[in-house]
Amino acid sequence: MGQVSHEVAHELENFIVHEAKLADESKYQEWEDLWADDAVYWVPVKEDDDPAQKISLLYDNRTRLATRIRQLKTGYRYSQLPVSGMRRVISNFEYSEEAEGRFQVEANFFLPEFSIQSVRDFRVWSGRITYIVSRRGDSFQIHMKKIVLVNGTEPIPTLSFLI
Amino acid sequence: MTTKIDYHHLIQADKIHGSIYTSDDVYADELEKIFQNGWVYVGHESEIKKTGDYLVREIGRSSVIMVRDKSGTINVHSNRCTHRGNMLCNESEGNKRNFTCPYHGWVFGLDGELMDVAYPGGFDRPLSELGLQALFSDSYRGFVFASFKQPAISLDEHLGNAKSLIDRSCEMSPTGKIDLKGGWVRQRFDSNWKMLPENDTDGYHVNYVHQSFVMAIESQYGEFVGTEDSIKGVIKDWGNGHTEIDFSAGYAKTLDWLGSTPEKVKSYVDSMHKAYGQEKADKILFDGPPHACIFPNLFLGEMNIVIFQPTGTNSAVQWSTPMFLDGAPELDFKLIRQSEGALGPAAFLLADDASIAERAQKALLSGDPWCDLSRGLNRETTDENGVITSHMTDETSNRGFWHHYRKVMSGEG
Repeated sequence: MGQVSHEVAHELENFIVHEAKLADESKYQEWEDLWADDAVYWVPVKEDDDPAQKISLLYDNRTRLATRIRQLKTGYRYSQLPVSGMRRVISNFEYSEEAEGRFQVEANFFLPEFSIQSVRDFRVWSGRITYIVSRRGDSFQIHMKKIVLVNGTEPIPTLSFLI
Repeated sequence: MTTKIDYHHLIQADKIHGSIYTSDDVYADELEKIFQNGWVYVGHESEIKKTGDYLVREIGRSSVIMVRDKSGTINVHSNRCTHRGNMLCNESEGNKRNFTCPYHGWVFGLDGELMDVAYPGGFDRPLSELGLQALFSDSYRGFVFASFKQPAISLDEHLGNAKSLIDRSCEMSPTGKIDLKGGWVRQRFDSNWKMLPENDTDGYHVNYVHQSFVMAIESQYGEFVGTEDSIKGVIKDWGNGHTEIDFSAGYAKTLDWLGSTPEKVKSYVDSMHKAYGQEKADKILFDGPPHACIFPNLFLGEMNIVIFQPTGTNSAVQWSTPMFLDGAPELDFKLIRQSEGALGPAAFLLADDASIAERAQKALLSGDPWCDLSRGLNRETTDENGVITSHMTDETSNRGFWHHYRKVMSGEG
């Protein structure tokens, strides 16, 4: 996999920071619009799990991702009513170019969530994200976002916000 | 326990007292009477296929190891070294030749026997007296149940009528066997554990808690959220706390429960016909798997197997795995995706169930303590086996759970 120039790395980081902000603010439609048709939005239980053989905490293709957003937008998705307060920090970026105009970005994330819907718990989520993105117009589109939680094998509370 | 809890007051024919969910004394009492003294579901034989395969589960607050030994026997041991009480196994599953305690190196065989102690010169006791504590265990069609004390009734009696529910799950497979190898998702609920079995066979909440699901996606559940007259599913109390939402009468066509058609899963349909004959196979393929809770902690959740784990008065964990069918691996991928869609913390259904249960856990502490459970008392029917049936939205299942619970907790059963 190829090296990425500082300029491209900066573009990619800006895009991911933008994606994170849309997720933090539950801007559902704008967030959904970032995705490509071959989307995979994935939170495995364990990093090496094969999704064809093992259950994941979340494994959406483009159709299911649209359903997820449609459900959140109904106004009756109680587990996000009202939406969680979130401000995630994404850092420790590593970039590579998979093919012409197609990139892999890995990063650590730290996501404080105020889960206001029932127990009003302040929660911390953390893990490693791998994105596959490609150029679309003057920005990027997301083909895959894989989120490996540090505690995916443990009991997990409601995860119906955009992680 | 210092004071005796009057379960006949707290649980009545048509109402229950909110403290049954929120009292620490009740919870401590349950750990003993339900999770130490009675049959509790531990795991399925298909999860430990080879000699030395083991898994670690919790029964109440006790960690146990379920392991297949050299003779092929499945043992359930306490996960606690008999020397100084250290945890033998910190991994949740794996394969071992024996279990070695990390503290002083005592070695236990797969059958629980103490095989060796380090520096034996200073130790006179016979090793045979210090094997791992074995639980009483028994199984039905691969479903392994265990208890720390000899239960008052056999597993066969405990399951009673509900053996037919487990049979129905197994008969979804052309070989009559399920295979739980799809891995587990664990979802935390900040609510009392009893809300999980209660809610999983509550047919009344579907149109409300899951309104967003009904609006966002077309599924077989659309047939169960119409008017009171149009809903054809029924609710059942099978006795001994085992309860069911029976969707079969409400399905419109074969394989509705799978969201599929005979053409799309032809190889599965063919192998079912070969295994059971056309008539029986077609009935199985129309009726689908059960949606039923086996008291106290197992849920046959259609094409999923679910375990309820109490972790405190105000917290519980729901474990879920897709129910793979031996002889029909072509369904695995679809079953995994359906399980993720329905069950777990990010799912279209269970995420909302958790929030609603957690709201109840808070609200139950305030005001008038009673919860009404009378719905459907005016229209239940009872068959010759004592199975009570009513409209899908009736609280027959909840009453079935609570009235058995009352029997167990007041020492009557």
